[in-house]
Amino acid sequence: MNFKKQLKEGLLTNNPVLSQLLGMCSTMAITTTLFNGIGMGLSVTIILICSNVVISLLRKVIPDKIRIAAYIVIIAGFVTMVDLLLKAFLPALSDSLGVFIPLIVVNCIILGRAESYASKNGILASAVDGLTQGIGYTAALVIMCIIRELLGSGTFGKGVFGADGIRILPAQYPALMIILPVGGFLTLGCLIALTQWVNRKLAAREAAKEAAK
Amino acid sequence: MKNAKYILRLTVTLLLITAVVAGLLGLVNYLTEDKIAALQNEKAESAMREVLEADSYEPLETDAEGVTALYQAGDKGYVVRVSVNGFGGAIDMMVGVDPNRTVTGVSIISHSETASLGANCTRGDFRAQFVGLAGGLAVTKDGGPIDALTGATVTSRAVTKGVNLALECVKEVLG
Repeated sequence: MNFKKQLKEGLLTNNPVLSQLLGMCSTMAITTTLFNGIGMGLSVTIILICSNVVISLLRKVIPDKIRIAAYIVIIAGFVTMVDLLLKAFLPALSDSLGVFIPLIVVNCIILGRAESYASKNGILASAVDGLTQGIGYTAALVIMCIIRELLGSGTFGKGVFGADGIRILPAQYPALMIILPVGGFLTLGCLIALTQWVNRKLAAREAAKEAAK
Repeated sequence: MKNAKYILRLTVTLLLITAVVAGLLGLVNYLTEDKIAALQNEKAESAMREVLEADSYEPLETDAEGVTALYQAGDKGYVVRVSVNGFGGAIDMMVGVDPNRTVTGVSIISHSETASLGANCTRGDFRAQFVGLAGGLAVTKDGGPIDALTGATVTSRAVTKGVNLALECVKEVLG
């Protein structure tokens, strides 16, 4: 187990949103304010860790033929629990994320990690995978939120620093379009391109190191 | 026989997993149920106070279109809870109406409108436009007095419709 390597994979080379291109729907829908991004990122991270641990724990018990059904039941259970807990203890976040919390059930990141990692690895490694992939997802969301909130509303940290956040651009300049789904696609496209570019550079550097040996 | 055993194993495993998850969900639901209900009541209550301040609210029966609850606020008037279809789903709102059939206040309890666009319908300056107006309201685009929210005409129309429904309902009650 190599935490550093897994963290690098989660953030860059195997980032769930920017490299694996999973969970696009929620990414585009909720990344309009920093508050939403952090809330959604943390919820997904918690669910990812829990489901990874449980699925890794049960990986030898669950027969192959019904594994997807079993995974979905476990994931849906955790998502509903988080949904209820948020409703009871963080109603502001629950209101703001609305239907996207229940929709984490069908977020491919969770099932994807269950299928490709937790079902093949030990409990501790799976928990670390859940954490690092969750951090990668949260990081992608937070970057999207900061860009879209700044260009679309002209503020920073809406909901985190007071209800209206810190105004950076005067109210008449922001482009409303960035808040709309169109802006989500544009921002995400640019971010994916950037990640690919960085990943390529990293790979080239690795290769150069190998060659020098 | 071997096959039957395998099928049985599949069934029992899935059944056990589902049962355990269901049990845990039941527990979490039991722990949060009261809290969620209390929060929702509190929200509705504060919305009622916001639109029409009164000592007590007496629930009344109604089958008016779009109206989910109707309360008599002493002699101050009525509070109507309406649900209308907005851009992203139902908008649940509270409208206060005085005995002269004019609006005393509008409050949005829940909505799923687009962030930064339709979601602005909760803003005070938008809602304040309705205060003091009576029947047959419309947004400026449709020739009425209500300034629609930028980029959210559908939401603005929905809220306006909700206020109209509330006024209609009170009209029926007053006869």
